[in-house]
Amino acid sequence: MSSLNNLLLPAVLFFALGFIARLIKSDLRFPPDLAKVLSIYLLMAIGLHGGYELAKADLMMALTSIMWALILGFSLPIAGYLGLLLTGKVNPMDAAAISAHYGSVSAGTFLTAIAYLDNISVEYETYPLIMLAVMESPAIIVGLILAVKARHTLAAKEGSSSSEDKAQMADDDDENNSGFGALLREAFTNGSVVVLTGSMIIGAISAPSGMAKLEPFIDEIFMGVLCLFLFDMGMVAARRIGDFRQVGPVLALFGVVMPLFGGVVGAYVGANALGYGVGGTTLVAVLGASASYIAVPPAMRLAVPEANPSFYLTLSLGITFPFNVVVGIPLYHNLAQAIVA
Amino acid sequence: MVTLYPEKLLNIITIDSLEDKLVDSFKKYGVSGYTIVRARGAGSSGLQADMSGFDANILVKVILPEDRVQNLLDSLERKIRKGYHLTVFVHDVQVMRPEKFNTPWHE
Repeated sequence: MSSLNNLLLPAVLFFALGFIARLIKSDLRFPPDLAKVLSIYLLMAIGLHGGYELAKADLMMALTSIMWALILGFSLPIAGYLGLLLTGKVNPMDAAAISAHYGSVSAGTFLTAIAYLDNISVEYETYPLIMLAVMESPAIIVGLILAVKARHTLAAKEGSSSSEDKAQMADDDDENNSGFGALLREAFTNGSVVVLTGSMIIGAISAPSGMAKLEPFIDEIFMGVLCLFLFDMGMVAARRIGDFRQVGPVLALFGVVMPLFGGVVGAYVGANALGYGVGGTTLVAVLGASASYIAVPPAMRLAVPEANPSFYLTLSLGITFPFNVVVGIPLYHNLAQAIVA
Repeated sequence: MVTLYPEKLLNIITIDSLEDKLVDSFKKYGVSGYTIVRARGAGSSGLQADMSGFDANILVKVILPEDRVQNLLDSLERKIRKGYHLTVFVHDVQVMRPEKFNTPWHE
């Protein structure tokens, strides 16, 4: 029943329309940067809204949520990495890059989940929004550490010939890639984190009268923009699914199993560790289940050039994102109902 | 009759996220300026469709005196060894004002 509800959500239907438009080779094209523009709007709107609500919230609860967001953000990519190595289908570099995507989060999926909960009139806590902001970054760091480790292992395997390469690389001109501090800075200053955290602070400290004027921007057009965003993302996902053959069935299966695993872990964290209601628990499950496709891919391209972008883009955009939007969200909602009750 | 002077035109096709690193190398190896255009296409890295900005490429053009080409090429070679995908090709070109290509740009 509830899964039918999700399928009939306008935003999800637009996702399907985008997907179909691409499959039937329609000449429909969105401007190249539209998805990025729209995601900035979506993060701004949800950040303002959430910050305003959070200003009234309990500080201890917020801090506990942040702590659990960090725990999830650091541990999920490690679980994903081990899972990927077990499949024997990818090298450690690819495994590191892919798992960074799965530890991080997708704001698009999160917002679709909010649309879903709104649609069936389920109340939800605002704390998961802070978790969304916190969980963008840790997985990038874990992915980079795993990649550095894999790089050392590979270099050691190749033996003496690589020491010369290393010496050559050491005098390379891009020092900004090598320092760990720089990596941390990159992970925590990425655009989505700045927009979301900044908007939450603005929402929290703004005068209520000023926020009331923003109402049309934050609330009234929100669902329409989400439709447009998912319309675009449907086309992107359909374009990615074309690389399915390159990815292979085992990895494709990972793209479905990993979100289910993350969803179950997230649901238990939301319900048991954080004591959220059904709505909040659903949102934490979605955070655990979703895979990043905006913040992490460029970070991995830059820091782990050895990894194959087709793998992580196809998995996160072509498989996990559609799976979560269409099937996952109602599933996590049902799971949350079962655990909380 | 305008006199033309020989220079080298270095072209690089790569992913857009590498832009900052390339510009850093340009500064380091005394490049006088650069031009970057957004690009899409297909090649050894598969299709780079630039759909919604998810797989955008850039085409970077740099004009420089021949004696500075090699150092820059070495630095690009190191990037390729690290695993970055770069397509690099060099043209002989003729320019009108060679002094333009001698001093690094100001920011």
